[in-house]
Amino acid sequence: MTESASYPPIDPTTFDLILVGTGLPESVIAAAASAAGKTVLHLDPNSFYGSHFSSLPLDELTSFLTSHSTTSTSSSHPHLPPSTAIDGEDYISVDLETRPVYSDLDISSHSSEPLEHSRKFNLDPAGPRVLFCADSAIDLMLKSGTSQYIEFKGVDASLVCDSDGKLSTVPDSRAAIFKDRTLGLTEKNQLMRFFKLVQEHLASDGDERGDNARISEEDLQSPFVEFLKKMRLPPKIKSIILYAIAMADYDQDDVEVCKDVLKTKDGIDRLALYQSSVSRFSNAPGALIYPMYGQGELPQGFCRRAAVKGCLYVLRMPVTALLMEKSSGHYKGVRLASGQDLFSRQLVLDPSFVVSLPLASSSPDFLQEISLDFRLKSAQGKVARGICIARSSLKPDVSNLLVVYPPRSLYPEQATSIRVLQIGSNLAVCPSGMFVLYLSALCDDADQGKKLLHAAMNALFTPDVSGNPENSSSVQCENTEEVKSTLLWSALYMQELNMASFESISFTPMPDGNLNYNGVLDATMKLFKKMYPDEEYFPETTSPENSEDDEGISLES
Amino acid sequence: MSSRRRMLLKVIILGDSGVGKTSLMNQYVNRKFSNQYKATIGADFLTKEVQFEDRLFTLQIWDTAGQERFQSLGVAFYRGADCCVLAYDVNVMKSFDNLNNWREEFLIQAAPSDPENFPFVVLGNKIDVDGGNSRVVSEKKAKAWCASKGNIPYFETSAKEGFNVEAAFECIAKNALKNEPEEEIYLPDTIDVAGGGRQQRSSGCEC
Repeated sequence: MTESASYPPIDPTTFDLILVGTGLPESVIAAAASAAGKTVLHLDPNSFYGSHFSSLPLDELTSFLTSHSTTSTSSSHPHLPPSTAIDGEDYISVDLETRPVYSDLDISSHSSEPLEHSRKFNLDPAGPRVLFCADSAIDLMLKSGTSQYIEFKGVDASLVCDSDGKLSTVPDSRAAIFKDRTLGLTEKNQLMRFFKLVQEHLASDGDERGDNARISEEDLQSPFVEFLKKMRLPPKIKSIILYAIAMADYDQDDVEVCKDVLKTKDGIDRLALYQSSVSRFSNAPGALIYPMYGQGELPQGFCRRAAVKGCLYVLRMPVTALLMEKSSGHYKGVRLASGQDLFSRQLVLDPSFVVSLPLASSSPDFLQEISLDFRLKSAQGKVARGICIARSSLKPDVSNLLVVYPPRSLYPEQATSIRVLQIGSNLAVCPSGMFVLYLSALCDDADQGKKLLHAAMNALFTPDVSGNPENSSSVQCENTEEVKSTLLWSALYMQELNMASFESISFTPMPDGNLNYNGVLDATMKLFKKMYPDEEYFPETTSPENSEDDEGISLES
Repeated sequence: MSSRRRMLLKVIILGDSGVGKTSLMNQYVNRKFSNQYKATIGADFLTKEVQFEDRLFTLQIWDTAGQERFQSLGVAFYRGADCCVLAYDVNVMKSFDNLNNWREEFLIQAAPSDPENFPFVVLGNKIDVDGGNSRVVSEKKAKAWCASKGNIPYFETSAKEGFNVEAAFECIAKNALKNEPEEEIYLPDTIDVAGGGRQQRSSGCEC
């Protein structure tokens, strides 16, 4: 960070918008605001793009997680009380500090090999995350011109754990249902009938006449699990649909304690997303795709779009304080680590920042008011995340795959789904001969979170990892084709969840607990629309290259 | 190796702000030059079809999009480059001194599998300025640096007058073609979310 001193002063000094942090939400807003003709300055204290949505080499991931965790002294002034200083005539400066967004970080290294190849890794702090082929995120990338910078490969297989602890393939198409040897003929027929009904319902959507094909409004508002029962789908199929296709987090069978009951309407929408994803791109093997070099490519793509539209980029530049107008307490600008003051109408901060205010007694009245405004709105619960580096693939012939452990599939008190995404070296996220597995599950606290992650890891990896000779690195499990792999390195941590907030200073959201980007990008779009109610969010023809590009639309088959 | 991959050659141009990176690209691809300097806004990448031994290739030349101003090019910019062009202004010593930093930055960020033999090409631009009287970096000095870094090909150019630009880019294309990328990560083919648009797209420059 000493490098910041060597930069020439930033010119101009006044902008429409300053953003601090280059996570996906900030990067999308930078690109959208630049496309709308705003003057934008985008800063990041790190030497890399992406903040909490980055993809990092192994050593950098470790230091990033550590520096944003509770146990560390991440703030620049850990023991000093927050201070305000009166600067000149008009402004008062208020310290900007970072707050921990990760906790209970637990890193174990069972082999020196991964660290020896540290730079060959591109690891996602916000994993597991993928895109559904039919996600609105893909449309946003096409519309904004970001898709030209990013390449994707498919997730080859999607597996779900049944009540016996066995993994089976998620049947996601008619052909897959026919081929599936684990389903009986009756089950196959039930599933086919159900998919047909859903398709007819979707096809008749917008059709005002309530004919037989449509699912009744009453059913649509009822819990999805009830509807699936009504359709007489067996428990195994129900579980696949709820947790491996609709990606429900909480135990839907226990409606009383379930924190997020999936309605039939939303369940059908998620089924539709899955089905249209399966057929969208001819060479994608399934519904899900993952970016080459990791998900950190997404924020970088949006930042490049922003830069092409004139946004100014300065990495390695911490912001030390905010400048407030003395008379009103309104946000006016930022003070950089280099000492330079820059001004803007609006400010967007990544969620790990906190505006630290002095004690009420010593502060001007307006500061007590803004202290309410500038507090980040936090959401309930946390997401437990794990990053594991393993010697071999979970399925010998497949490199990239998703595994879902539905609630209660691993142990009776398992309250939430655990999702595991394995990515191999053909996506350039690790050296060949290794695999990266991302785990996540929603939880109330760290104890519960760790228990969830450990349960999945016990199912995935061989228990004895110390002193294993290299050649016995994988053990064939009885009666399955899955292979238990040797764990080489792991990082487990709890990540805080928060909502985006819009005030005179806006905060972007942390990565949510979902598998895809829809929630984060929805919140981002809403934030942009609040900031710029009169501006279009990525106008269709923003640049000459977009107007030449008439192929981008003809995707769906 | 994927055929699609071999059809497309990625070239990136690095160098200090104002040395003429965008102008060099524009002169080569569009045969246009604008005297009006504006820190790059609107330039993304330009593409040009080149032919070698009866085969057509698409040269995709990436501009820094202004992100070099505060050394804030992300790792994604460097990735998968088949040739790296290092440009400086023969009239500005600092821009020449910084070539070493740009080269090292590239080798760290792009992390090519064989850094010793990765193709670079150095361009000394703006030799037209003031009839060459304001020149501060001699051809000898530049060539000596290139020789010390594994015989990097060196060209003196004027983007304004179009001098030597074509020859320089021919060398760039030839060297990009010789670069053998790591095979494994290109199998299987990537999914083209824009329906083939990436290869054919040519990008305009607004300035």
